Amino acid sequence: MTRTLTRYLRLAWFLGGVGLHRLAAYRTDFVLGAGAFLVRVGIQTAVVGLVFRHVPAVGGWSYHEVLFLLGFSLLPRGLDHLFTDQLWELGRKLVQRGEFYRYLVRPVDPLFSLLSERFFHPDGLGELVVGAVLVGYAGSELGLSLSPVQWVLAPVLVLCGALLHTSVKLLFASLSFWTVTSMPAMYAANQVSEFSAYPLDIYHPSLKALLTWVLPFAFTAYVPCVYLLSGGTGLLGWLPVVTAGALALALTVWCRGVNRYEMTGS
Amino acid sequence: MIVAERLVKEFRLAERKPGLLGSLSTLLTRRHRVVRAVDDVSFEIPAGTKTAYIGANGAGKSTTIKMLTGIMTPTSGRCTVAGLEPYRNRQRNARTIGVVFGQRSQLWWDLSVPDSFRILRRVYDIPEPVYRRNLDLFRELLDIDALGSTPVRQLSLGQRMRAEIAASLLHDPAVLFWDEPTIGLDMVLKDAVRHLVNRAHRELGTTVVLTSHDIADIAAICDSALVVDHGRVVHQGTLKDLLRTADHRSVVFDHRDGTAAGTVRARIETGLPGVRATPDDGGRIRVDYPAGRYTSRQVLTFLLDHFDLADWYAPEPGLEDVLRRIYGRARVPGGTPDGTGRTPDGAA
Repeated sequence: MTRTLTRYLRLAWFLGGVGLHRLAAYRTDFVLGAGAFLVRVGIQTAVVGLVFRHVPAVGGWSYHEVLFLLGFSLLPRGLDHLFTDQLWELGRKLVQRGEFYRYLVRPVDPLFSLLSERFFHPDGLGELVVGAVLVGYAGSELGLSLSPVQWVLAPVLVLCGALLHTSVKLLFASLSFWTVTSMPAMYAANQVSEFSAYPLDIYHPSLKALLTWVLPFAFTAYVPCVYLLSGGTGLLGWLPVVTAGALALALTVWCRGVNRYEMTGS
Repeated sequence: MIVAERLVKEFRLAERKPGLLGSLSTLLTRRHRVVRAVDDVSFEIPAGTKTAYIGANGAGKSTTIKMLTGIMTPTSGRCTVAGLEPYRNRQRNARTIGVVFGQRSQLWWDLSVPDSFRILRRVYDIPEPVYRRNLDLFRELLDIDALGSTPVRQLSLGQRMRAEIAASLLHDPAVLFWDEPTIGLDMVLKDAVRHLVNRAHRELGTTVVLTSHDIADIAAICDSALVVDHGRVVHQGTLKDLLRTADHRSVVFDHRDGTAAGTVRARIETGLPGVRATPDDGGRIRVDYPAGRYTSRQVLTFLLDHFDLADWYAPEPGLEDVLRRIYGRARVPGGTPDGTGRTPDGAA
C-alpha cells in the first residue's frame, strides 16, 4: 500500500515536472490563456463593483463579501483545473477517436494515467493566483480575522471544493463511454458552476436547490465562505458527505464506463 | 502463453434508417442490431512463438487483440495472457505486454519522443541498464535520434511509427501485440523493425502476435499462423503448414525441344485439363495445377513424357496466394462479416 502510494507520488512529481516543462515550451498558449482568464475575472469584478455602486448590499452580502466569495470560488476551481484538465479531452474526443485505449495498456491506474497527461494546466495557476489576491484583498478590507479552527479548515474546504469540481467533471466526461462524446454535457455543467461565484441568496430557490443538492457547486464556495465570513455552519456539516458522495458516484460511473469501453476502428 | 477459451465479443449497433425521416425515427425508437465480431474463438499460442494473426477485414482480428491486451472485455468466454485475464488485471498485464496499434498513437501527443521515453521509463520502472541497452538499439536500428525534440503530433506517420515500435519494446515485454506495425515505413525501416522483433525473440524469448496487411512482414517475422474467418479460427499451425493448404501447386521447367511457347502451352493444357501453363520471357514455362485434381507425380510424368526437360523446380506456394484464397472466401455472397454491407468483390 505505502509502496504503491510512494510510487504514485514519485510519478506525479515527475509528471508534474513534465507539465511545468511543457508550460515553458508553449509560452504563447500560457500567455493567451492567462490573458483571456484575466479579462474574464476583470469583467466579473467590474460587474460586481457596478452593482454595488447602486445598492449597499445584495442578498445581505456587502461588496467586499461578494468579492471574497468571487475570489474564493477561484481557488478550488483553479486547484481542480491544475490537475484534471485532460478530462475535457476525454469528453471531447478520446473515446470518439479510439485513443482512450492507451491508458488501459500502461501499468498505472487509468485515471491517474489520463490526468497525469496534462498536469499543471496554466489556466489553473492563473485562477489560484488571482483567487488568492482577491481573497486577501477583500479579507483585509473586511477586517476579517479567522479563528484557529477556521485557519485549519480553510485549506480543507478548498480541497473538498476542488474534489467536487473534479467529481462533476469526471462524471460528465465519463458519459462519453456511452455517448462517444459528452462535451455539451460537460460544458453545460461547467456553465452551471459559474453560479457558484456569487451568493446563493440572490437566486431563485429552485436554482439554489439545484446548486446545493444536484450539482452541488454551492459547497465549493458559498458554504465555505458563509462559514469563514460569519461562522455560520448551516450546511457545513453536509460538505464532507456531499463531497464523498459525489466522488464515489463519479468514480463508479468512470469505472463502469472504462469496463464497457469499446475501442472503435481497426 | 496466450489462451482464448470460447471467446465472444458482440457489439450493439444502433440501426439507422436512411434519409431525414429515417434519422428522426432513429431518435425516437432505439433499435439495435447485434454484431458478433468474435464468435466462439478458442486457441492457444505457446510462449516464444511468433504468430501471424490472419483474416480479412472484419474477421475479428483487432477485436481479439483488444481483448488480449485488456482494452475490451469479452461478452462471454475468457482469455489469459501469462496466466492473467487482461481486462481484469490491466495494470499487471500491462507490464507483460508491449502494444502497437498502427492507426492509433500511444505516445504523449505534445511531447517529444525522448520525453515520452523518459516518462515510459518511470511508468514501467525500467532498470537503467535495460533502458540504456534498448535506447542504444533503437538509435542504431530506428535512428530514433533523428526524431529530435519535435512533438509527436508534428511527426510524419513513418517517424511516429518508429517511435511507437520503440515504445512497445522499451520495457522488454514478454508478449508483443503488434497490429499493423509497419504502416508508413519505407523498405529499410521495415527491415529494421523485422530485425528488431526477431532479435527480441531470439535474445529474450519474446512471444509475438502480429497482424499486418504486408505479407512480407508476416513472412519475415512469423513462424506460426492463426487464421480467423467470420470470427472463427479456421487454421492454426506453423506458417509452413499454412502454405501446404494452398490449393494450387506449381512447376517451372526449361526444355530443349525448340517448340514454340504457344504449342507447348496448348499441349499441356489439352493433355491436363484444368492446368494453366504460362511461358515466361526467358523461355521457361510455369505450370500451375490444382492440388486436389492432380498429384505432382502425374504432372511431372506428363512433362517428362512430352518434353525434353533441361531443368525444373517447384516453387513453394506463395503466402500471398494462400491468403488471397482465405480473404477471398471471406467475401462470398451473403457474407459481409464486418457488417459494412460491402459487395463481394472476389480477392482482397
